[in-house]
Amino acid sequence: MAAASTAAAGADTSFRFPREYSFPAFFTRQTNLTTHHAQLSKWSALVLAYARHHRIFRLGLSAAADSDLFYNRRLDRRLGMPDIRELLDFMKRDGRIEYASGGGGDGAGGGEGEVVFVYWRKPEEWARKIEKYVEETGQKGGVLTVYELGQGEGTRGTEIHGIDNEVLLKALNVLVRKGRAQIFGQDDSQGVKFF
Amino acid sequence: MFLKHIDLTTALRPFYLPDEVLLFVQDNVGLYEGKFKLPNYQNGQVYLTTHRICYVDKEDPRSYSVALELKEVDRYEFYAGFFKSSAKITLIPKPPKRSSVLPSSVSGASHQRNGSSLSRSDSPRSNPEQSPATSATWVCTICSFSNPVPSNFDPVTANAHTPLPPCLACGIKPTLAHVLKAAISGANNRAMNTPSFTSSYPSLDQSGVTPRPLSENLSLDLASSPQTPQNDGESTFQCPRCTFSNHPSLLSCEICGAPLISRKQSPPDAKSSLNDIRSESPGPVIENPKKTEQGSINVSESVKISFRKGGEKIFYERLKGSMTQRKWLLQDAPPAPTRSRLADEDPSTSSPGRSGKKAAGIAGLEQLGLNMRKNNELIIGSAFEDLEALMASAKDVVALAERLSRQNSSGADAMSAEENRLLAESASQLGLITTKDIVGGGGSSQSLYLSELSRNVAEFLTDDSRGVLKQAGGIITLVDLWAKFNRARGGVELVSPMDFEKAARMWEELKLPVRLRTFRSGVMVVQGLDRTDQATIKALLAWLKDLHEFPPEKEVPWDWQQFGMGVTAQETADRFGWSLGVAEEELLMAEEHGAVCREEGLEGLKFWVNYIDMGDVKPAKSQAQRDQEAIVKALKKSGMI
Repeated sequence: MAAASTAAAGADTSFRFPREYSFPAFFTRQTNLTTHHAQLSKWSALVLAYARHHRIFRLGLSAAADSDLFYNRRLDRRLGMPDIRELLDFMKRDGRIEYASGGGGDGAGGGEGEVVFVYWRKPEEWARKIEKYVEETGQKGGVLTVYELGQGEGTRGTEIHGIDNEVLLKALNVLVRKGRAQIFGQDDSQGVKFF
Repeated sequence: MFLKHIDLTTALRPFYLPDEVLLFVQDNVGLYEGKFKLPNYQNGQVYLTTHRICYVDKEDPRSYSVALELKEVDRYEFYAGFFKSSAKITLIPKPPKRSSVLPSSVSGASHQRNGSSLSRSDSPRSNPEQSPATSATWVCTICSFSNPVPSNFDPVTANAHTPLPPCLACGIKPTLAHVLKAAISGANNRAMNTPSFTSSYPSLDQSGVTPRPLSENLSLDLASSPQTPQNDGESTFQCPRCTFSNHPSLLSCEICGAPLISRKQSPPDAKSSLNDIRSESPGPVIENPKKTEQGSINVSESVKISFRKGGEKIFYERLKGSMTQRKWLLQDAPPAPTRSRLADEDPSTSSPGRSGKKAAGIAGLEQLGLNMRKNNELIIGSAFEDLEALMASAKDVVALAERLSRQNSSGADAMSAEENRLLAESASQLGLITTKDIVGGGGSSQSLYLSELSRNVAEFLTDDSRGVLKQAGGIITLVDLWAKFNRARGGVELVSPMDFEKAARMWEELKLPVRLRTFRSGVMVVQGLDRTDQATIKALLAWLKDLHEFPPEKEVPWDWQQFGMGVTAQETADRFGWSLGVAEEELLMAEEHGAVCREEGLEGLKFWVNYIDMGDVKPAKSQAQRDQEAIVKALKKSGMI
């Protein structure tokens, strides 16, 4: 699983779940609209914090349902699949997740059913980070490969390092739309030029 | 005659005296003094009971409610109404100080000799109303001083053993015959002097208003008081169309079929008819009635009750009945004389009884029990001896029955004891229930029946001694209440569910202290007026808070000091004494208010303190709001604001 592999890198300290995570009623869909909204907001915050902590970029739904994100083993309470979908829809409206178009990316998501990108940073925010990095390292006007940006030695130590390829491309496309960069080349060896 | 201010129950009905029985209710009536209308007493309900006529104002019942004691009424007249003038019943008060009237006394005496002289012979009791008969004098044979005949001297009952006071001047006792003669001649003179009195009783010589010895009243009433006087020429109703004199219990004319209960102006729809029933009438209004203390009105002339919405005929009939029965005499009456059998047994039982008092320990207790059983046996035995005695000792028998039922139920479990108590005490309530019979029949009085029923139920609910509402934790489902209410009625005159619901819906309109409330699920409950959702939520939260303090019974994986426990509807029902349905609805209500949140698990639906929405999450902003904020921000940045 792609998420797990990327997670391994950052999981040096264990994630501290919020208070609600140990509250049994948190795992039941609330019927009161206000309460339900609060519940979704808190779940959303929890998912993002969890993803950020473990540096998860893509989340396989069925695998995540059994992970301790949605399944509190100590309480023996879990968030049901319909509720997870509802939560994801809620987050999607906020622009915090995006459904991966079936089997795209590095192909890891294909076998696990639905996969979503978790934007604990939105592509626009990533774009700003990349731009800043390019500026700081004086590579404006130069050409970088996409691989270099994501996995290369140059970005090691920055937040960009280890970014999911598709998320990276989305961020770069934001820059392209702004006219700050241009992407060229083939699928495997894409290059990007910053202006 | 006084129109006394009366106290009303929580349901805005008159408080009844002990033994008072409601006979008839009619709404839309007004009061007159003589020919003049009494202001503020022109639209209300009139309650006819065995003792009184009560008027309860519709607009301001607490200030304008009066009662008129039937015992102050001398006679009553019926006026059928003419064109725009509504039907009226005139009540003419007794003259302030009336002395006894001999002819009626004598006729009473002859009656009494024929009838019930046996029961009275050994109990010389004088009629309190005869006491003013002091005008008769006897002349002392020794010193020829004119002495008054003693006030308690009754020529009918006097015998050789009647104590006679001596002459005031010389102190010599007169002979009985002498005083008797003087008393009778004195009374004869009086009767001759005031012929108007006797002539003013055209048809009431038998049934009427003349004072008679008490016990004779009892026996007479019991013997000759049919519920509806049948052969009385006066009681027939003249048909408004064909003038045929119908039997009073008929609702429509025997000859032409015209309705006899005069509701010509009221179409079947009660709501719309209310509007065109006039509460105004062209009669003159009295300017300032002689108010005495607090809301009571001193009426020197007659009082008229104007029936603007019909019902006068039934009222008249029932009034006639209650004037004949004169139940108010029973109220002041001493308890029924203990049977002579008791007196016979007395000497024989008295000595062991006295020794029993001295006996101590178990023997004493047993003696006490024995005496009590004997006494009970005596009450039951004498009660059923004949109907008259049964009526007289009804109070004792009811009290005994209640005591027995309490003894019986003391062994059973608490619940059934409670129910038995309810059943036993409902007996006393039987007399005061609203029935369709009490309010006039016919279409438009349906709403009156419902409003009376509504008041009745409200009283039933708020009655402290019964505590129906309190027992149910201040809230009870309508169905439960319906069952309880019908049970309290003792299986007679049961209320249909439809009427019951309609009556419950009228509480708000009638400004009664209970309310019908419908939950979102459609469950209808009854609760006090002061009960609000906020108070309920407060109570629920306080309870849930307590669960943070006390460790749960079994190990729980979560931090119970932080989150407390989830509660089910069942637990809530147990805690607050609610029924399960009510508990469920209240929890859902609290959830709706955001005070609690739910948890669906294997153990069912549980409710928790709402730790999800602690107010730290901002409510969702609409797109428009967000846009607006963005604009404001941009403007601020550019220095426009």
